[in-house]
Amino acid sequence: MINRRHVLIGGSALAAGSVLSAPMVRAQGKPKVVVIGGGAGGATAAKYIAKDSKGEIEVTLIEPKEAYTTCFHSNLYLGGFKTFDEITHKYDKLVSSYGIKHVRQWANAIDRDKKQVVLADGSRVAYDRLVVSPGIDLKYDSVAGWGKEHEEVMPHAWQAGPQTQILKKQLDAVKDGQTIVMIAPPNPYRCPPGPYERVSMMAHALKSSGRGKARIIILDPKENFSKQGLFQQAWEKYYPGLVEWLGPKVHDGIKSVDPKTMTVVTGFETYKNCALVNVIPAQRAGKIVIDAGLANQTGFCPINPENMASASDPNIFILGDASIAGDMPKSGFSANSQAKVAALMIRGELTKSRTFPARYANTCWSLVAPDDTVKVGGRYEPKPDKITAAETFLSKLDETPEHRKQVQTENIGWYAGITADMFT
Amino acid sequence: MKIIAAPAIASAAAMFTFGALAQDKPKPKGDVAFGEYLSSLCVTCHLPSGKAVGGIPPIVAWPEDQFVAVVNSYRWKERDNEVMQTVTAQLSDDEIAALAAYFGGLPNQPEVAK
Repeated sequence: MINRRHVLIGGSALAAGSVLSAPMVRAQGKPKVVVIGGGAGGATAAKYIAKDSKGEIEVTLIEPKEAYTTCFHSNLYLGGFKTFDEITHKYDKLVSSYGIKHVRQWANAIDRDKKQVVLADGSRVAYDRLVVSPGIDLKYDSVAGWGKEHEEVMPHAWQAGPQTQILKKQLDAVKDGQTIVMIAPPNPYRCPPGPYERVSMMAHALKSSGRGKARIIILDPKENFSKQGLFQQAWEKYYPGLVEWLGPKVHDGIKSVDPKTMTVVTGFETYKNCALVNVIPAQRAGKIVIDAGLANQTGFCPINPENMASASDPNIFILGDASIAGDMPKSGFSANSQAKVAALMIRGELTKSRTFPARYANTCWSLVAPDDTVKVGGRYEPKPDKITAAETFLSKLDETPEHRKQVQTENIGWYAGITADMFT
Repeated sequence: MKIIAAPAIASAAAMFTFGALAQDKPKPKGDVAFGEYLSSLCVTCHLPSGKAVGGIPPIVAWPEDQFVAVVNSYRWKERDNEVMQTVTAQLSDDEIAALAAYFGGLPNQPEVAK
């Protein structure tokens, strides 16, 4: 890639990678947008910038993987409603349909002064605008006794891929009467209803396979959680006696885990010989944005609500879970919505195309049992201090089975829609 | 007030599928470029190919007046899907016309995966 650019630029510019960032050189070529991370934020941004600029902007997607496994609907894989292949999507159409350059490398660092991304092999890619959508990093030190070296014994499965498969395999091996412990994450974290949809899908998988005497204990550091009333009603209705949620006042603190003995210790009780321990730890923005000085003390990145640009660098746009997006939750839908705003604004800055005021939206569907899905969502607007909810909705406790079934068909349709929007 | 019955929409959309009316189509009343921008929110769920998946119906190649009528029925909360009510709540008449013009001009080609 660097070589081809050198050829295009001409002999005098061949000396060093850093020359690529010189304004003189940029002025002679197309503006360059580099996107780090091929998830709901990054893949969407890369596609929309390339598609809508119609060749006027050179778009490079830096993403080591050949295919992306979505965190959203990975719980449906656990519940047996989807295959792993069905939640995994290749990037090839972004390359063939829109001319996006897919660089299969890890991005190590952002050199903000030179406006370059440093890749794992040491080479550099220059940008005029950078989109960073790195997702979350896990705080491996946030649960005593647990760390990266234990993630195959006590999986998190909060970054979809091999971890999701490990969790499914462990779930499949649980015997009737055994105990599963989930350690839920503290706020803020990726996908607020996700842990509780996961528990619903685990309970369904157990109950529907003659393992209804197994027990799932949720140890939660939070006093309350997303869609709590809806989830608790569903657990009572569909999985009585199978799911137990314990808040901090009851468990009195998650003290430690021991992966060797599959033990979880709380101030209230000790759970020994667990068949499965799902540790979903505390989270922060991907390391690359923290190293680049784009995050604040919360571990996430402040942004300009009007356009998703970093509050500390107008040439860098931060999408999805890594950003502090005000009232918007950390979800795939949010990241996709933010990506479209950023794509529009970046095109406007680089090619003077028309821009319109930012609008954001989100909906999160959660499957609680076969044909029973609940949802939460909203519409969001930029205000000077943050992205602010303009209107929100939440499923009601007394909806009919027919309505809930309809919401599940909507959930299935949305997945087809957003993955087509991201990858085709 | 119900603006329009669902079967009427379906049959109108079906007519466009066969392309019979394509050349008779009037000039769009809304701003297509603006509609294309606004449409990016819609296509998170609705496939631009016109393919229906699950409970998300196709919205391409509809006659513009019918598109406007259906969106208004959500905006005014006469139809009862919360997602649609929320995303349409603040749309102006011009924005709805723009969306109708943009989606109305898309070919219905559900065989395309997208």
